Amino acid sequence: MIAIQRALKATYNFFAGDMILLIATVVAFVLGLLLVHALAAPNPLVAVVFVGCIVGGLALTLGRELRGRVRQR
Amino acid sequence: MGTQWAVLVAAFLASAVEFVEAFTIVLVVGITINWRSAFAGTAAAALALAALVGVFGTALVRTVPLEALRFAVGVLLVLFGLKWLKKAILRYAGLKAMHDEEAIYEEQIAEMRARGEHHQQRIDPFGVVTSFKSVLLEGLEVAFIVITFGSAARSIGSAIWGALAAGVLVALVGALARAPLQRVPENALKFIVGIMLTSFGTFWGGEGIGIAWWHEELFLPILVVFYLVVTGLLILWLRQYAPAKHAEVAASESAAGEALS
Repeated sequence: MIAIQRALKATYNFFAGDMILLIATVVAFVLGLLLVHALAAPNPLVAVVFVGCIVGGLALTLGRELRGRVRQR
Repeated sequence: MGTQWAVLVAAFLASAVEFVEAFTIVLVVGITINWRSAFAGTAAAALALAALVGVFGTALVRTVPLEALRFAVGVLLVLFGLKWLKKAILRYAGLKAMHDEEAIYEEQIAEMRARGEHHQQRIDPFGVVTSFKSVLLEGLEVAFIVITFGSAARSIGSAIWGALAAGVLVALVGALARAPLQRVPENALKFIVGIMLTSFGTFWGGEGIGIAWWHEELFLPILVVFYLVVTGLLILWLRQYAPAKHAEVAASESAAGEALS
């Protein structure tokens, strides 16, 4: 069990290593798929939402890092 | 043609960063144990990585449909790119220490000497395993970038040449210098690779989910510029909170306090 947990953690760290980035990326792709295939949304809207989710994830995780460091001081 | 060059450059830069890190450990093994063990471990790891790229890269290109491949590769490249960008941004903003190969080198040397490692001529299993592990672990990320980039662009060859060129260059410069390559602008390379991975991941991932980008591949440079601007703004925002700035403020406040008292 511990070996499996360690393997999962190593895989997670290798591919993402950050929960916010992982969630933002998954949301970007799932939302994009839904907008294109289920709602037939216009192309520019899908592109804006898709890129927005990616950039939002980066900004959020950096904000979290900043809060953590400010709290440490 | 343009995409092939982009794949080659991205693989070259990503590999250069990782090879510098791996080279530092191989150098430590070579100096503290012996060069034979260091080279044996490095060669074994290089073979393992080449097999990984050869098997998975070729299989992916031949068997998986391009749309599905670009979707999966898009997810992975965006994740990898954001991970690299996050570290590079935090370093540029002064919120994370710069990677110091010289310090890592000194630390590793001290650790190995403390364990009583010393020069001998025969192959030493500990030395082989240490250099094997470092080259394999650092190289795994490179292998992944080579496979994902190469397969999505249908250009595995360009990615392999880029990685090989970086490996040869780092080994040559390292062998001539016989010292850790601390002058390589590692954070700048990580930042550029992060931008490239995120841009390509967004582009291919977008195509995978069904976005038809404006002017197709010509939209890639627009994405690159967009991410450069966004990350530049994020660095400026974070710099306001960097520790050095706080220290300066605290120092000037205490100086002002002393002057008043």
